[in-house]
Amino acid sequence: MNNIYMPELMKVIGVKQHTADVKSVKIRFQDPATTDAFSFRVGQFGMFSAFGSGESTFNICSSSNWKDHIEFCFRKTGMVTESLWRIEEGDSIGFRGPYGNSYPMEDWEGRNLIFIGGGIAMPPIRCAIWYALENRAKYGDITIVYGARTAADFVFADELDQWAQAERTRVVRCVDPGGETPDWNYEVGLIPHVIERAAIPAENSIALVVGPPIMIKFTLPVLDKMGLGTKDIYTSLENRMKCGVGKCGRCNCGPVYVCKEGPIFTLEQLHRLPLDY
Amino acid sequence: MSEAITQAALLSLVDDWISGGRTVSGPSFVKEGLLLYEDLQNAGQLALGKVIRPADSIKKYFLPRHEELYRYTFAGQNTCLENIDLVPVERVIVGARPCDAAALPVLDKVFNWDYVDEFYTRRRDATTVVTIACTLWDDQCFCTSVGLGPAVEKGSDVLLLPLAEGYEVRCLTEKGQRLFAGKTTPSETMAAAPTGPERKFDTKEIDALLHGDYENPVWRDIALRCLGCGSCAFTCPTCHCFDITDEGNASGGCRVKNWDCCQFNMFTMHASGHNPRSNQAQRQRQRIQHKFRIYPDKFGEVLCTGCGNCTRNCPVSLGVLTTMEALASSDAGRDATENAASLKG
Repeated sequence: MNNIYMPELMKVIGVKQHTADVKSVKIRFQDPATTDAFSFRVGQFGMFSAFGSGESTFNICSSSNWKDHIEFCFRKTGMVTESLWRIEEGDSIGFRGPYGNSYPMEDWEGRNLIFIGGGIAMPPIRCAIWYALENRAKYGDITIVYGARTAADFVFADELDQWAQAERTRVVRCVDPGGETPDWNYEVGLIPHVIERAAIPAENSIALVVGPPIMIKFTLPVLDKMGLGTKDIYTSLENRMKCGVGKCGRCNCGPVYVCKEGPIFTLEQLHRLPLDY
Repeated sequence: MSEAITQAALLSLVDDWISGGRTVSGPSFVKEGLLLYEDLQNAGQLALGKVIRPADSIKKYFLPRHEELYRYTFAGQNTCLENIDLVPVERVIVGARPCDAAALPVLDKVFNWDYVDEFYTRRRDATTVVTIACTLWDDQCFCTSVGLGPAVEKGSDVLLLPLAEGYEVRCLTEKGQRLFAGKTTPSETMAAAPTGPERKFDTKEIDALLHGDYENPVWRDIALRCLGCGSCAFTCPTCHCFDITDEGNASGGCRVKNWDCCQFNMFTMHASGHNPRSNQAQRQRQRIQHKFRIYPDKFGEVLCTGCGNCTRNCPVSLGVLTTMEALASSDAGRDATENAASLKG
C-alpha cells in the first residue's frame, strides 16, 4: 500500500555537536537507489523520525548540490529531540520529504544576498549560503549576519570562518550584550542594531531573515529603512506540523498551509496573512 | 414511478447483510438517551424513527479515532519498518443522516489533495452508505443554512425517503444498486420532500464577515465560555485534524494517527514554547475560519454540514450555530446587515 506517512530508513553517517544543546546530523538513504532518485531544493523541509519517540519537522540544512547525503540540525527541547540527541553514527532514523516550497535561488541570480539569522535559525540559511557559494558567479555580494545569545551559541561556527574566506562575502558575527567572552573580536549587540551599524548596501539586494519572532519583528523595520522592499525580504516559517502534506490541519496561517504553500514567504505575502505564526 | 421497500423488508435485508458477512453499522441506543453509530449484531438494534441524530458521526468509519500507520522493530543499530497493507472490512452504514453522508465528499477532497491518504480512501471504497432522509429536526439543526437539506443525496450510495409505510429507495451509485438489487418493489407513491429546519444564517454574509475584521471582539466573548474540551470537533462529521505520535518501547512499536482538535493549546505550540494560537479566542476563530473561509477558499465549499452536533454536545452550548448568531449580532455583523439592507433598498 502506498503509505504517505511511511518514512525512508536513513543511516546516520555523522553527528556533530555545535553548542551545549544543538547538534547536526548527516544521514544517507539505506537504499542506494533511493539516494540516486532523491532530489530537493534548498529551503525545503523534511519530517525526521526518532522511532519510539516520534517525528519532528526540520529544514534540510545541507546544500541540494550534495548528492550523497542530507543534513539536519536541531536543538534538544522535547521528546523527539531528546531521542535524536542520543543517536550515534551507524544508527537508523526515518525521513519523509522533501516537502514545501523552496528559496527562489534562480530569481535571486544577479542580486546581492543578505542572510540574517539568529541562534538556531542558522541551519535553514546555511543550505542557501552553501548553494550560493557553490554557484558563486551567479550571485552578487553576499553578506551573512549571524547573531547568538553568547559566544558559545554559534551553530556551524567553523563554517562561518570558511564563508568569510569566500570571495565578495562578508560575515558579521554578533552576540547579545553580556554574551561575549574576553577574546571575542566581533560585534556585540542585538541583530537589528548590528545591521544598522554594519552599513550593508541595500541596492539590488534580497534579504533572507530567519530567527525567533521577536528578532524578525525588530529586524524588518531596519531593512525597510535600508530601502529593501517587502517583495525582497524572505523568511521561513516554523509552524508546528505533523503530516507535512496538507492533511492534519494545524500549520495554517489563516488561509495558507505552511507545509504546502510555505515554509518560505516574502514579507509582502506575510503582510496579507493573519499573525498566526 | 419509484422503487420502495417496506420497513420489515429493510430490516430483513439488514439481517441478510449481517449474516452474509458484512459489517453493518447504524444508529443504535447504547444506553437510554445515548444514540451512537454502532456495529449491529442484528437489525433489531437499529434505531429508526423518532430520533434526531446520533451524538457522533460516521467519520469514525473512515478516519478512526486511533489507527496504526506502520510498525517498527529495533535490532541493535538497525531498525526494521513494516508497512501496513490495510484491508478494510466491507461495511454498510445504514440509517446514516444526510448531514453525515454529505461530509464524505468534503473529506474526500482533503485526503486526496495532492497526496492520497490510502488509509482513508481504502475505507471509503469498502463502505456503502445507506442514508435515511430526516423527518425530524431540532433547534440545533441548520443543514438548510449551509446549502444542504433533510433529503440531500450528497455522499450517499442509497437514499431512503420515509413513506407512510416503508421507504422510497433511491440508489445513487453502483455500490448502492448492488445492495438493493431485486429487493425493492415498484411503487406509485413518491415520498414528499421534507422541508427541513428554517434557514438560520447566510454563508455569503458569514464569508464577508470572516474575510473582514479578523480581530472581531466576538471571538473573545465566545472564548470566555469555551472550556476547550474538543467535543465539538470530535462529534463533527467534517472535523478531520489529527495528530501523529509514537507508541513504542525498547524493542519496537508503531507510529499512530489520533484525532486531534484545534481547541487544544498543544495543537500549534512550537518547540520553543511560542504558540501562534495561544489563547482560546484565537482557537475558536481558527475553527470557524477553517470551516467557513479557509476550506471554502481552497476547495470551494464549506467544511460544515449543519448537523448541529457541535452545539448539542457542547457542555456550554457553544457551536457553529451559536457562533454565527454571535457574529451576526456583533458590530461588524450589524454593519454588514445594514449595508446589505441599504443596497437592497
